[in-house]
Amino acid sequence: MTSRELTIGGYLTVLAACVVLQIAAVRRPERLPSLGRVFTHVMRTRTGRVGVLVAWAWLGLHFFAK
Amino acid sequence: MTDAAHEAGDDQLAAPGRPVAITPGQAALSGLRHPLVGILLLIGLCSAISGKPLDGVLMATVAVLLAWDAARARLRGWPGAQGAYTAATAPPRQNFTAPGGRVGTQWRPVRLLGPAAGVVAAVLYATIVGDFSRYSWPVTIAIVALGCLMVAIAWQGPIRSRRVLTGRPLRRAWLWAVVLVSGGCWELSSLLQQPHLTTDSAAHPTISALSDPVLASHPGRTVFLSGWLLMGWFLAGR
Repeated sequence: MTSRELTIGGYLTVLAACVVLQIAAVRRPERLPSLGRVFTHVMRTRTGRVGVLVAWAWLGLHFFAK
Repeated sequence: MTDAAHEAGDDQLAAPGRPVAITPGQAALSGLRHPLVGILLLIGLCSAISGKPLDGVLMATVAVLLAWDAARARLRGWPGAQGAYTAATAPPRQNFTAPGGRVGTQWRPVRLLGPAAGVVAAVLYATIVGDFSRYSWPVTIAIVALGCLMVAIAWQGPIRSRRVLTGRPLRRAWLWAVVLVSGGCWELSSLLQQPHLTTDSAAHPTISALSDPVLASHPGRTVFLSGWLLMGWFLAGR
């Protein structure tokens, strides 16, 4: 396995873990929070809300803006 | 403890009605010592020195605004100060929901009109902005304008009330933190293994490097922007 394949494999593993967690949360919401509920918790204060939305805006800036 | 106290980072604010005597200087310091303010300032500094001055200015601006808001909340020093919105206490802004949204079928066309208009606007935005070249002024203005609008909306408080996370699900939220932080660390390790911060590595590609071929075409940029808008819609609804 090359370094490139290993690196991409790492990203895919993280993605797969997110999918598994989300599926588990949807199936057993009393045991595990979904990603949406976690974001709701993080964004319960103004600082959290603005911080998360700034991170989202930064993604757009990073990939497209000067 | 109230969220105003959380924002100000001072346990003494937890006592309702208790007078708080602090100087404006102390209030400013309490705003500056908020972790997110420091993180945003750091991101702004790193963005600026890595050739993205606009990112840096925007991050620093939001950091200063948050610090100012936290300082103002502390100066007021009473529970329920502006900036103390929570999912549990803040009323949803009714202007973002269809009138009579819970009433039978008579408002159904109105309820569908808003989302349909949003989808059309999003598709138009993604198609038009996706047609611009990356790192050009038109795309920069379009992204900055939408980003500022969304941050301004976030500043006002939650759009709708949502169930507060408590009990066992809250205690297991760390699982998400582990996965997301691991992803961030993996990306960071790839970035640090590049020959230079601005030079991609084929052996250790970052997500940005992997996405470059996709973002080279108009359809690719349109799909990517659609995903970005979808993510923004998802977050704005939290």
